[in-house]
Amino acid sequence: MRIPILKLHNYLLISIQIDLDDQTAIQFQEDLLSKIHENGASGVVIDLTSVDIIDSFIAKVLGDVVTMSDLMGAKVVLTGIQPAVAMTLIDLGIHMQDVPTALDLEQGLIKLRQELEE
Amino acid sequence: MNKKIKNVVLDHSDAIVKMWLEEFDSNKENDYTATISDEMFESTNREFVNVIFSSIENQGLSTDLDDFSERLINLGWPLSYLTDGMQVFRRVITDYILKQSDKVDTDYFSEILREVDGWVDPIINRLINEYSGSWEHIVSLQRVALQELSAPLIPVMENITIMPLIGTIDTERAKLIMENLLDGVIKHNAEVVLIDITGVPVVDTMVAHHIIQAAEAVRLIGSRCILVGIRPEIAQTIVNLGIDLGKFPTKSSLRKGFETALELTNRRIEETQNNDEDIEKLIDSLDGE
Repeated sequence: MRIPILKLHNYLLISIQIDLDDQTAIQFQEDLLSKIHENGASGVVIDLTSVDIIDSFIAKVLGDVVTMSDLMGAKVVLTGIQPAVAMTLIDLGIHMQDVPTALDLEQGLIKLRQELEE
Repeated sequence: MNKKIKNVVLDHSDAIVKMWLEEFDSNKENDYTATISDEMFESTNREFVNVIFSSIENQGLSTDLDDFSERLINLGWPLSYLTDGMQVFRRVITDYILKQSDKVDTDYFSEILREVDGWVDPIINRLINEYSGSWEHIVSLQRVALQELSAPLIPVMENITIMPLIGTIDTERAKLIMENLLDGVIKHNAEVVLIDITGVPVVDTMVAHHIIQAAEAVRLIGSRCILVGIRPEIAQTIVNLGIDLGKFPTKSSLRKGFETALELTNRRIEETQNNDEDIEKLIDSLDGE
């Protein structure tokens, strides 16, 4: 199972609509990084609206993806994290300190643009 | 034999009632009777002793007892009045029976005690159950009321919501606050949430921890959190306890916090009319005359 990555101008949009398992997450990390390399994208939005469960490993992978993309020159915003997911993450002690977040895709794009302009 | 003791008691109920009333009246110095008038106290005593006798007579418990205890609960009589009354009754009745009997040996004595306990204990149990039942009921009602009041969320403006917190925060309430906060942020599509802790009397490490957690969770779902209403003494405790609140903005008052929230959402308050100019115009027009 691979997660589709859509290109929009110089942004990449990803909507995760399945419960991530470890294998898929790793695969996704590789796919996204090679896509950034291919397209030279400057911004990435990962939408998690339909994700109900995030465990510590997936959280780590997501955090890593953000840092890695940053290294490659693409800003990443996570959007649509569900309240239940946020509470679980906080309970697990995962604060994702350096990861930018937004309420939905629209605000995620606005945030990206703001950050890229700065 | 048991029948005999019971008959002795029932036949001489008047005398026993009199003794009980005298004995119980001497207890009147207790705190709980201070606010109750003498007539009220006496009539209640009479009713109480009648209820006791009727329940002994009826071989156990009558509905009179339930009615009586229910009324006392509603009137706010303390439980200690009833337990004191029953203890005095036990003492009086044992004394009386012993006085009435010619021969007193150990067997007879213990039998009397057992018999009297058999009358008195079920009544005490019933009364205590009634009272504790009513207390539990009140506690559960209050718990519900408290839950309704504990974590309100007010959407004051598009993209800005306020959560005013009042009273002590414990773990259970913190959980509720976080759930309401996150659900509310999603529901109202709030970009900025103001948490107002003006009404929180004490902020210790635990409360601060809960607030920080809530703020981080809010950040994870993509909104921002501003902590407002930090009083001087709270600022002092927070620093003295070494709590780091630097991760999200804090403001002293809701007003300042709101201004910051407007700034974050690219808005500001503008006065539609400038008062100073008006006054200047007024003075100018006066000078012209």
